[in-house]
Amino acid sequence: MMLSHKNLTLAGAAVLVIGAAGIAFAQSAGAISAALSGGEVGEQADGYLGFRSKPSGELRGEVDAINIKRREAYTKLATQRGVTVKDVAATVGCETLQKRVTTGRSYLLTDGEWRTKDEDPIVLPAYCGQ
Amino acid sequence: MKQASLLLALAASALLVGCVQIQAPDKPIEINLNVNIKQEVVLTLKKDAEDLVNNNPELFPQ
Repeated sequence: MMLSHKNLTLAGAAVLVIGAAGIAFAQSAGAISAALSGGEVGEQADGYLGFRSKPSGELRGEVDAINIKRREAYTKLATQRGVTVKDVAATVGCETLQKRVTTGRSYLLTDGEWRTKDEDPIVLPAYCGQ
Repeated sequence: MKQASLLLALAASALLVGCVQIQAPDKPIEINLNVNIKQEVVLTLKKDAEDLVNNNPELFPQ
């Protein structure tokens, strides 16, 4: 009942690949987190992440990848609820602007102007309610 | 003759001033409707959006 040499090698390779993917993911999350704290990247009222300043190619790729996954999730929910993807995205935008953007971080409202969050709550677009 | 036409012009302008001018608004009505519908949709989606953000931390890095 010994694992063959070949099987062991395969298992080892799999562990390596999974490990590398994990590290890559952690790195990208780290880069985006740093860009969020630094204000180069911020949440937008349209429910996606955006760039306040010109990003490096690598950062752009990582943010784009997140936005693509967000759109997938929005599309799924929109189909379930019979609304447009834009409606879902805008509602998520209300949520992120209200709860996720902390002091010192950048955010973009519907007027297209980037602002930096101060200690006052963000004045949300009217359609966000309350 | 000159006086008559002057009088006529005066009368005409008096009439014009007396007119109540109603101008149809350019677009606000439609825009307001859109916003209202959207607000309603946002309200119904609020809980879903909250769950989506909380359940997918990899999509919403901090």
